Amino acid sequence: MGKYLLYRIGSMFVTLFVIITITFFLMHAVPGGPYDFEGQNLKPEIVELLQSKYHLNDPIFKQYLDYLKGVATFDLGPSFYYSGRSVTDVIAQGLPVTIKLSALSILFVILLSLPLGVISALKRNRLTDRLIMIFATIGRTVPAFVVGTLLIYFLSYKWRLFPIFGVATFKHYILPSVALSLATTAQLTRLIRASMLDVLNQDYIRTAKAKGLSKSRILLKHALKNASIPMVTVLGSSVAGLLTGAFVIEQIFAMPGMGRYFTQAISNRDYPLIMGITIYFSLILLVSMLVVDILYGLIDPRAAVYGKKR
Amino acid sequence: MVSSIRGLQSTARKGKDMSDLTFNMDDWEPLPADALGLAKESAGVSLSYWQNIWRCFKKNKLSVMSLIFIVFLIFVAVFGPMLTRQSYSDQNRDYIHIPPQLDIYAIGRDTYVYLSPSMQLLKVSKDGHLLGPVEKLEDDLSSKRRVYTLGGQNIIVDYRQKPARILYEDGKDVPLFRKKVWNKTFWFGTDSVGRDLFVRIIYGARVTIIIGFVASFVNLTIGVLYGGIAGYLGGMTDNIMMRIVDILRSIPRLLYVILLMVVFGSGLLTVVIVIGLVDWLGMARIVRGQVFSIKNREYVLAARALGAKPKRILLRHLIPNALGPIIIETAMNIPHAIFTEAFLSFVGLGVSAPQASWGTLANNALSGFMSYPYEMFFPAIAISLTVLAFNFLGDGLRDAIDPRFKE
Repeated sequence: MGKYLLYRIGSMFVTLFVIITITFFLMHAVPGGPYDFEGQNLKPEIVELLQSKYHLNDPIFKQYLDYLKGVATFDLGPSFYYSGRSVTDVIAQGLPVTIKLSALSILFVILLSLPLGVISALKRNRLTDRLIMIFATIGRTVPAFVVGTLLIYFLSYKWRLFPIFGVATFKHYILPSVALSLATTAQLTRLIRASMLDVLNQDYIRTAKAKGLSKSRILLKHALKNASIPMVTVLGSSVAGLLTGAFVIEQIFAMPGMGRYFTQAISNRDYPLIMGITIYFSLILLVSMLVVDILYGLIDPRAAVYGKKR
Repeated sequence: MVSSIRGLQSTARKGKDMSDLTFNMDDWEPLPADALGLAKESAGVSLSYWQNIWRCFKKNKLSVMSLIFIVFLIFVAVFGPMLTRQSYSDQNRDYIHIPPQLDIYAIGRDTYVYLSPSMQLLKVSKDGHLLGPVEKLEDDLSSKRRVYTLGGQNIIVDYRQKPARILYEDGKDVPLFRKKVWNKTFWFGTDSVGRDLFVRIIYGARVTIIIGFVASFVNLTIGVLYGGIAGYLGGMTDNIMMRIVDILRSIPRLLYVILLMVVFGSGLLTVVIVIGLVDWLGMARIVRGQVFSIKNREYVLAARALGAKPKRILLRHLIPNALGPIIIETAMNIPHAIFTEAFLSFVGLGVSAPQASWGTLANNALSGFMSYPYEMFFPAIAISLTVLAFNFLGDGLRDAIDPRFKE
């Protein structure tokens, strides 16, 4: 396990390094400098001055090494757009919002998909099952921005149950989290249903029944634990979906999170901020995948052995 | 017919003496198919692999309906924009934010008007055709009053309070003729600069179909070849090639789609390029796995023994035998690509105005969405239905090709 963990952490850093490299050179390959805003004709001297301030005149490889050094010490350089603020500073402001949003979404995903999946497996081919499956199908085909706008229109605007924009209170986070979690919930419900059906046909469930265990005990102790294994894997990869989904959701609900900063940084051509957020997003994603792998090994000891060989 | 067989036997028995032998020509006719009741059993026509898949696929009603819908969508996307009167970018200042359902007021006997959300009085026909703007006499912004003239009569629009009132000159309300008449000129209404949403949605279908085709094309060329080569060569080459894929896959896909959009600038062409650049990774993995598992079969060995070159083995033997999973993966990938395009356009990085994709339309509708929800409704429905159809198609193909997954 220790060796495997070390290997995984090592390969995580390699991936992160590749991501940083790709992002860096992509951002420096963009035609036009960061000061080519429309209607803003800066004098050549000023551009010269700005460029030397941000070390844009150094040879590209030196800039790259400097940037790598900076990343190692969590210094991602100054933001081009928000003058006087560092990228780390801007991210520190947006990150809590996005983390809260995603965490709440994951909570919703688990709280919704687990019971729905289990119920629809237990009531297989009955009306309840059909309804849940219809929900799951719709959930994966309706884009998040449609769900988000529908929620705002009906729950916030028409019926005034929730605040519309902002992040002031906990209540502000509920609708965005629901909108964000719907697609993953739908996917996971299907998955849990399938794995639950699979588990319920296993011999050990029959043994448990034959032993005379109560229904709830069989369900909770024997079936659910085994059926939740695939859930853990999907949950890991769905973190990526949730994080990128946050771009859209934050825009619709006007939340000052990382996703919103990211889309704004793109239209502002704030390259250091774009790079910084990309790196942070990737880091979060890689760490969550690692956590899931470790969890997977804990839940299902067979997987950890295979994991080494993979 | 049974009797004719007996007849044949009897002639044969009689014919010990060869000279006796007489032939009854009827006896040599083939038996009809249902003779002896054997026909049913022997009629099990052997089906080819693809016929079998088609037969399984046909049983799934939803998938067949989806296929029909997709074919219909392709037709609309190809021919639709040629048939519409307006183009997707035609603007009309008189028809701003016209909804798909109109409340029609009657002035006199045969004159009907509709008041647009921008307080423009429009002539309409009884059944909902828009006939053009009514001539405006004066526009008093301070007292929120507009005076229009129609057939020698002055009509006053008073919009101090909501809903606005349409009055005759003597202060009486113009009577409501019918509520919620379907708009016959702009079926889906118009947007903030008076562009026909129906035409724009049709044009958006074109974008969506292009994206779908590009995604499939890239999957079927780059993805299949990359995975095929890695799987067939194996060893170090495979290791390096798949490591690259693994690393690229571990980067959140949308993140570097966005980065690439930043580099290339937004627009339909770049969306297509970017989706093409990133969409083949999953396919490469699947094909590699398939090729890996079938490359040691006897027929491959036989081909190699006959001196076939690796290129021929790969293209003629390995890839055709992995076609099932390849088709499933392609079908499953199309909705992903469509979602990606909608996402990019919605965030403002993809297809930009005046061009229209469904994502762009939804994005444009977002700002005025409280007042004009229909502008969001139609593109949203279009995206959802299309993705739904492609998903059902993918499910149907998967069940038909690889029944192991079937529940």
